Amino acid sequence: MFKLAFKNILFYKGRSIATAVLTFVSTMLFILYISLQDGSHNSMLENSLKIYTGAIEIYRKDYRDIGGNEYLIQDVKAITDKLEKIDAIEEYSPRYETYGLLSNKEYSAASMVAGIEPNKEKLLSSLESALIEGSFLDEGSANCIYIGAELLKKLKLGIGDEVAFIGSASDGSFAADMFKVCGVFKTGSFEFDSSTSFVARSYFDELMNAKNRASYITLKLKNIEDADKVNEQIISMLDDENLESLTWKTLMKSMVEIMEIDAVFGYISLSLFMVVIFFVIMIYGFVNVSSRIKEFGVLRCIGLSKRNIFLLLFYEIALLSIFATLLATPIAAYICYYYNINPIVIDGIADMYKDYGIVSDEIPFDYNLFTIGWNVGVIYLLNFLSILYPYMYINSFRPIEATRHV
Amino acid sequence: MYKLILKLAWKNSFLRRSRTLLVIIMIAVSMSMMLAIEGIYDGMVENMVDKNKRSDSGDISIFAKEYRINKDLAYMIKNADEIKAQIENMQGAQAVVLRVKAEGLLSTARKSSFASVVGIDLQAEERFGKFSEFLKEGSIDLQKQGAIVGIELAKTLKVGVGSKVVFSTQDIRGEINSIALYVRAIVQTTNISLDNSAIFIDINQLHKFLGTDSKNAMQIAIRGEDKELYGKLKIAFANLDVKSFLELQPMIKQMQDLMIIFNSVTFLIVMGVVFIGIFGVMYVSILDRVREFGIMISVGMHYKYIRLQIFLESIVIGVLGYLSGAVLGAVLLTYLEHYGIDLSAFSDALATWGYEAVIYATIKVSYFTTTLGAIMAASIFSVIIPLRKIKKLNPIEVIKAEK
Repeated sequence: MFKLAFKNILFYKGRSIATAVLTFVSTMLFILYISLQDGSHNSMLENSLKIYTGAIEIYRKDYRDIGGNEYLIQDVKAITDKLEKIDAIEEYSPRYETYGLLSNKEYSAASMVAGIEPNKEKLLSSLESALIEGSFLDEGSANCIYIGAELLKKLKLGIGDEVAFIGSASDGSFAADMFKVCGVFKTGSFEFDSSTSFVARSYFDELMNAKNRASYITLKLKNIEDADKVNEQIISMLDDENLESLTWKTLMKSMVEIMEIDAVFGYISLSLFMVVIFFVIMIYGFVNVSSRIKEFGVLRCIGLSKRNIFLLLFYEIALLSIFATLLATPIAAYICYYYNINPIVIDGIADMYKDYGIVSDEIPFDYNLFTIGWNVGVIYLLNFLSILYPYMYINSFRPIEATRHV
Repeated sequence: MYKLILKLAWKNSFLRRSRTLLVIIMIAVSMSMMLAIEGIYDGMVENMVDKNKRSDSGDISIFAKEYRINKDLAYMIKNADEIKAQIENMQGAQAVVLRVKAEGLLSTARKSSFASVVGIDLQAEERFGKFSEFLKEGSIDLQKQGAIVGIELAKTLKVGVGSKVVFSTQDIRGEINSIALYVRAIVQTTNISLDNSAIFIDINQLHKFLGTDSKNAMQIAIRGEDKELYGKLKIAFANLDVKSFLELQPMIKQMQDLMIIFNSVTFLIVMGVVFIGIFGVMYVSILDRVREFGIMISVGMHYKYIRLQIFLESIVIGVLGYLSGAVLGAVLLTYLEHYGIDLSAFSDALATWGYEAVIYATIKVSYFTTTLGAIMAASIFSVIIPLRKIKKLNPIEVIKAEK
């Protein structure tokens, strides 16, 4: 049956070429489309995670929902002592965040001012590598402020300039101080760069009366894929119902959800191409089969069963699909691999979509063999489905009737 | 003669009924899906354009020359009220509003966030962009230090209707000044920057708070789709920064361009594949009947009539496919235009990114006309190669040949 199928493929060249070409095109289209979609989503998430958000963050319950000083973590050391025991954690650091007004003589702007541990942040986030002018903070930076480039622009400040801070301390008292601009950062995230500034905790804790207190503790894991597992471990180790430990999936829920929606729309668009191609492959299969009814009639008359006929059609489509996908998959996979390493760059896209959190002009493809595998699997499935109607059509004829078919 | 050819074409189109039906179904399904996708994507962008125009920039906005670079109180449009009156008298201007804006810190007892206070005249805003339609909670009222807060800002600060908030910023003299406000309403404009950071208060109250002259404003927004209006305003107010909607919203312009490219590429791919489908069926259908055409030529029928018959057969299939697709597509689009795609399960995420939870489609006549043109072209071009084969036929040899 396999031999016969192979001969039929060579004999009905037109149908074979059309089916192979369409399968080739749909395989390429499917793999590249999904790779581009997944790649751009992953890149958005990775960029956002790299900038500031931790793989896991520990909060006091209701800090995120209600907020305020009474929901600060009150005994940071007790928690960090426990975190030390978890091997999967690469680094952790408590952050103290507050909002205040930064002002110079002429201009003022609201800013989130965060007290950080500079040496630990070097490992936890991309704050240090985002430096564009001056220097990053260190433990002895005193009243140095590390400020976002857009915020600096708003306030019309330069390195070495002084800026007044007015806010409220962790105990609710009035807090004010003069900071000196020591460094400027640009992460590419417009919102972050235009509203955030950092001060070393060693100094900021004094000003804000925040020693051993924190808004939250941020964690970097040795392997981000283990986030859920490590999170469970943290929750059981903390064993404190007043604390909550959240993975990046919860922390960045809106981004994850919008990507899911985007993926759904992507699949809908892709399904349009797949449906049309499926129909055309089916039509070519049907046209081919309907011109071979006499042949199938003879085959049935000489003793071939319905199952054999199905096998014949199955082998034909399988051989054509294998040929087309064997050709298309390596090419598509190589393109994905190439653009994964050398992402497409569209100048200005990050600036244009800054409100949407796009921080890079680069659009990488995703290179994932599992994804490529299931993409090819879907193409096979569609091709196999396309022979069902032609097969049913042949079976609607009785063998003798088929041999007389004109 | 032509009547006979038409009759022949019609009958031959259904000679192989299953084949013809498959092609018709293929055209109908792919066309209706394509129309629905186009409608939804266009609807998303159009909705965004509409809400952005109504809530902020209008069709044209005017600023002081330096304001968009340095968002500072020093760069206000002087005598904005007089300019407004002047524009209102210009042909094509449908509505004009003045706005005053300042950036600062918005605080509750527990939380703070950066915010932009926008001073507005509620009645004028209602005429300008039906402001009340953005209402999500509470009532539109700015009396007695009332304020209206963008939905995302309200979420960030965890405030609701009735909450007290304090806005702090530098006034015109450079002094840090604060004002206590009461949240009367929460609005969702689906304009990300407004939803994330805007707090609307009465324009006169803001002037008083900032110490600015009540005749001045940061922005004059104008509704009016008259294309000449923009040019007239540019000339009349050369000393000011006159910007069209798309100049102010390059992202939306790019989104529109991307949507056109995406829809065009989708259209070309789908129509290309549809062409291959029709071609396959017509090719086999014609080659199946080579003997029949040979006989027709032998009995004296001119080639041009055979060509016409084949063209008509292909067009019949194309038209039937198109009509089925148009009906199916119109039904789908009408449903999506009225009920939309409900993504309420993701409403929070969508709001954060400036989209509404229900996405409605838009219907354009051009969807149907361009598709008709493309299907007709696909039908006609699909028979050109088979026709060339027929033209080269030697009738005697064809008749002699075994079927």
